[in-house]
Amino acid sequence: MSTFDEFEEKDYGKLSTPILRRLLLLLKPHWRWVAGFLLSIALVSVIDAYTTYLSSQIIDEGIRAGSRDAIVRIILIYGGVMLFQALLSFSFIYLTGVLGERVRYDMRKQMFNHLQSLSLSYFSKTPVGWIMARLTSDTERLAELITWGLLDITWAIVNIATAAVFMFIINANLAVIVLAMLPFLAIVAYQFRIRILYHYRLSRKMNSKITGAFNEGITGVRVIKALSREDANLAEFSELTDGMYNASYRAAWLSALFLPTVQLISAFVLGFVLWRGGLQVEIGMITVGGIQAFVSYVTFIMWPIQDMARVYAQMQNAVASAERIFHLIDTEPVVKNRARTITAETLSGDIRFEDVHFHYESDDPVIKGLTFHVNQGDTVALVGPTGGGKTTIVNLLCRFYEPTSGAIYLNNIDYLDMKLEDIQSRIGMVLQTPHLFSGSISENIRYGRLNATDEDIEDAAKMAGAHDFIMTFEKGYQQDVGEGGNLLSVGQKQLISIARAILAQPELFIMDEATSSVDTLTETLIQRGMEQLMTGRTSFVIAHRLSTIKRANKIIVIEDGQIHEMGTHRELINLKGKYYNLYTRQFRQELEAQYDVFTQ
Amino acid sequence: MSANTYYDVDLSQNLTKNRFIGLMRVMKGYRVLYLGAIIALAIAATARTGIYLVLRRFIDEIVVPRNFGSDMILIIGLYIGMALLQGTFTFISGWLAARVAEGTTRRLRNFLYDHLQRLPYAYHAEAKTGDLISRATSDIDAVNRFFADQAIGIGRIILIFVINFIAIMQLHPRLAWTSVIAIPAIIAVSLFFFSRVSKAYEAYQEQEATLSNRLQENLTGVRVVKAFARQGYESYKFDQENWHKFSLGRRLLSIESLFWPISDIICGAQLLASYFTGAIMALNGEITVGTYMAFIALVIWIIWPMRNLGRLIVQTSTGMVSYKRVAELLEEKREPLLEGDYQPDGDLGGEIVFKDVSFEYEPGQLVLNKVNFSCSPGAVIALLGSTGSGKTTLVNLLPRFYDPTAGLITLDGVDITRYPRKYLRSQIGIVEQEPFLFSRSIRENITYGVHRQVSEEEIVQAAQFAAIHDVILEFPKGYDTLVGERGVTLSGGQKQRLAIARAVLKNPRILILDDSTSSVDTETEMHIRAALERLMQTRTTFIIAHRIQSVMDADLILVFDRGEIVQLGTHQQLMQTSGMYQDIFNIQTRIELELEKEISGVNI
Repeated sequence: MSTFDEFEEKDYGKLSTPILRRLLLLLKPHWRWVAGFLLSIALVSVIDAYTTYLSSQIIDEGIRAGSRDAIVRIILIYGGVMLFQALLSFSFIYLTGVLGERVRYDMRKQMFNHLQSLSLSYFSKTPVGWIMARLTSDTERLAELITWGLLDITWAIVNIATAAVFMFIINANLAVIVLAMLPFLAIVAYQFRIRILYHYRLSRKMNSKITGAFNEGITGVRVIKALSREDANLAEFSELTDGMYNASYRAAWLSALFLPTVQLISAFVLGFVLWRGGLQVEIGMITVGGIQAFVSYVTFIMWPIQDMARVYAQMQNAVASAERIFHLIDTEPVVKNRARTITAETLSGDIRFEDVHFHYESDDPVIKGLTFHVNQGDTVALVGPTGGGKTTIVNLLCRFYEPTSGAIYLNNIDYLDMKLEDIQSRIGMVLQTPHLFSGSISENIRYGRLNATDEDIEDAAKMAGAHDFIMTFEKGYQQDVGEGGNLLSVGQKQLISIARAILAQPELFIMDEATSSVDTLTETLIQRGMEQLMTGRTSFVIAHRLSTIKRANKIIVIEDGQIHEMGTHRELINLKGKYYNLYTRQFRQELEAQYDVFTQ
Repeated sequence: MSANTYYDVDLSQNLTKNRFIGLMRVMKGYRVLYLGAIIALAIAATARTGIYLVLRRFIDEIVVPRNFGSDMILIIGLYIGMALLQGTFTFISGWLAARVAEGTTRRLRNFLYDHLQRLPYAYHAEAKTGDLISRATSDIDAVNRFFADQAIGIGRIILIFVINFIAIMQLHPRLAWTSVIAIPAIIAVSLFFFSRVSKAYEAYQEQEATLSNRLQENLTGVRVVKAFARQGYESYKFDQENWHKFSLGRRLLSIESLFWPISDIICGAQLLASYFTGAIMALNGEITVGTYMAFIALVIWIIWPMRNLGRLIVQTSTGMVSYKRVAELLEEKREPLLEGDYQPDGDLGGEIVFKDVSFEYEPGQLVLNKVNFSCSPGAVIALLGSTGSGKTTLVNLLPRFYDPTAGLITLDGVDITRYPRKYLRSQIGIVEQEPFLFSRSIRENITYGVHRQVSEEEIVQAAQFAAIHDVILEFPKGYDTLVGERGVTLSGGQKQRLAIARAVLKNPRILILDDSTSSVDTETEMHIRAALERLMQTRTTFIIAHRIQSVMDADLILVFDRGEIVQLGTHQQLMQTSGMYQDIFNIQTRIELELEKEISGVNI
């Protein structure tokens, strides 16, 4: 579907000034750390080049000059310099690494906090996996670039510059030859890197497809067996592994070719240097130690060059990541407080929908002109087929979405003039698939009111009818509910979410009844808990249970974004229309379940 | 097992407890290449050592005696030749290692995928999906790294060490021995640190997972967060985990940032000791300047790579553990799909007889107890009973997802265990209440499992037959609409009708239907029922039913209770005997009466 195209990830971005500016802003609060690691790595780099120079000094001033003292002296200097370098290594690894972690922390925090402010519509159209990738892999790539990437580049530049200085000190002619080959080496290295990275990323993509195939092959194994699809599946799967093979094999042999190629280029340069150098020894322009130093410089200069090529190639990926991250941070919430708001003391009062329309895409209306009035304290049951718009109405009421036209009045105030926090903090909500957070039962109930005492929590649980089953757990209220509450049954989760809503003492209560059946005892408890919440409060229920529907003061039959029937149970039964059909069907199903026809 | 083009070796054979030997067996067919990679590595390492020996001659024979004649060109030529040799063989080694690593991994992936889909259904019913997937993906990745990086990396370090050590021995034995004094210390330090690093890294990774879960919970629970206006609290909770990850990262880095300087110091001390010994020997004339220069270049290659040995050794242990986890899957026995000695020449009739069939998942817990019944070809058999009474187990025996633990099932008079499973399953169509759909297009889902070219016309006909064609055309992309996570979500009834269309194309002789009332509206239910009835004609059909209405027309009704058939017969027969069936019928009649009462009571 075309709507998913915008979530396809491109892996190439160009470093523009605004992006660079924002990247630097990320480092700005930690500039001392940045200065520290840059200084450390620069010194490390200078020392690297200097020790090579020292080695050549051992030959010229020590061995060739026949001075034992010089050898001892140079070795001691060498040792001292190495110790100092070890200290610097510690400092740059620690500073860069910790700074990287810190930047990751900062970015995740900033993104998470921003996500909290975004509107529900953002989440309904953005896949969870997409958002998660911003806070994981993209953050990783970006942090890597502005810490280790920056470090590597600095090391490489300083290393080449220092080596160049020492080479010029030793012999300018030869130095020019070596430096002349650098751009060529850099281009070759970059070309290799960009291709390796391309195939590497391709192999990562294939890898996630393979994971998907395994997932489907395992979860759908019954269908596969029933349809004897094994051979065809293996053939399809092998296309994926072939793709994976090609991508990773290419990445691997390109890597295998890369270093030898670069080494070979330097070998030719070195051969040339030896030839020229040999001739220059003749006229006394260079020493034996000098030749040795050149051998080292040329042999090791490919490392900074290839580091630069690598970082440059990775940078394009990281910039693409940065663009996505900044895109997330720059997303404006659709629903937010108006410039001037009224402080509403309470939500209690009548609720009015006046010709409310809503759509995500202008050519595809979801709600088409709703008008109704609810008296303070009444219970409204929303019924109708799935996809008819019941959930959207509730989301509009909570101001998760705002009407595209028309208005909603709470207590005679247009709710767009109210503060979002004032509305949402006064609504209690129990969802069809109750969402619990990992942690204890007590923590989950406390979510309703953070400053609640343990007694408050127990009271709420008692009112919700959850107390008894909670006490059957070994740890009682401290029992862990598992990821997403998975260690509890659906009915238990429902009861806890009711307790959570009771604790919140909302002024408006919204419930999306579960369709899945729970055992009779739990069902009764849930019904009682709901009654607790509904008494004295205006309530909206997306209703599936007959008892709930019958109890409502107003039943609204929603289909295709419109109100089809509205009234009391009695009025609608007599209409013998949609409600009548819905009701009789549900009646049969409930009674069948109730009689549990098979286990008498 | 017959070899196929996707994997040429049966990797489930000759499994061994020894993980290293096991990994070597995975390489079967690639071992010569791997050996080639190692030999190439040795040649490359020797050539590199050769380069420095050429350099020594350059200094001793050209530079020092100032003999810049044709010899110089010769030696420089020799130097470039050595470099060429080294480069070529480094590449060959890497290239061969890549072929081995990627080739064995591809074969292992293919084999494991096929192995998993051919393990008996009984295995999958018990296994945890997440665990299987992690073994099939991250553990195989770890095995791949073992071949691609770790094994070859350890080989490289050892080869380079040995060759350079021998070369230095040739230069002067004393130089060689003084250069390896600190090597044991370097290896010990790197082993010590990396075993700690890998622990700290694991903790860091675990926290990464915790943080991701926190994030995911927040995103999936966004309505709850907003409904309670808990954005601030969520930020606070996220921040705690986020900060914890930062702290773990800092700890990991403290260990790493200690390792490098400490090993730098040990390596550096060794290097200087070697330099010093060499320089003094050169000074005393025991060795030439060229020898000294060659020596200081060679000694680097026996000291610095040793720092990585500890890391590689620690990492190979994860590769071995991963291999063990994969091997545990490979040990499981596949279900032989082609085993069986009977396959009819013409069409299957569909006469089915159960004789004293019993089944237990675990010994002592009978799920089916001595089930007896028979039906003629084309009959409709309804299974009625509560959840867990054995209906699903019974139909699972037909395609041989399970085999009876006692008793005999015959199809057209032949024991079904004599039919190859593949043939048997090709004759059975299953329509579940909420069937599993694959994340591909609607068209592909309909033709899934039809082992022939299917024309567009046929697909449309099947969809029309299943009363789903109109629904499909309402999607913008019609039959090309993607189903599942990245596509449209279908309702239970729509999925069921896609499965019916699939069954139409498959055209099986035996049909298994799950007729549980799913949450569909009356009109849809009518469509589905009509489609099912059309499908049932001329096929032996088993219906798992929950309501009397859907079994009344069956040729045979089996009433199940706790694994036993308590009653069987047609609707008329069962209605005349008192028993469970009559009770169920009475209840459902009573329900209708109550409904009438309820409706008329509204106005009182």
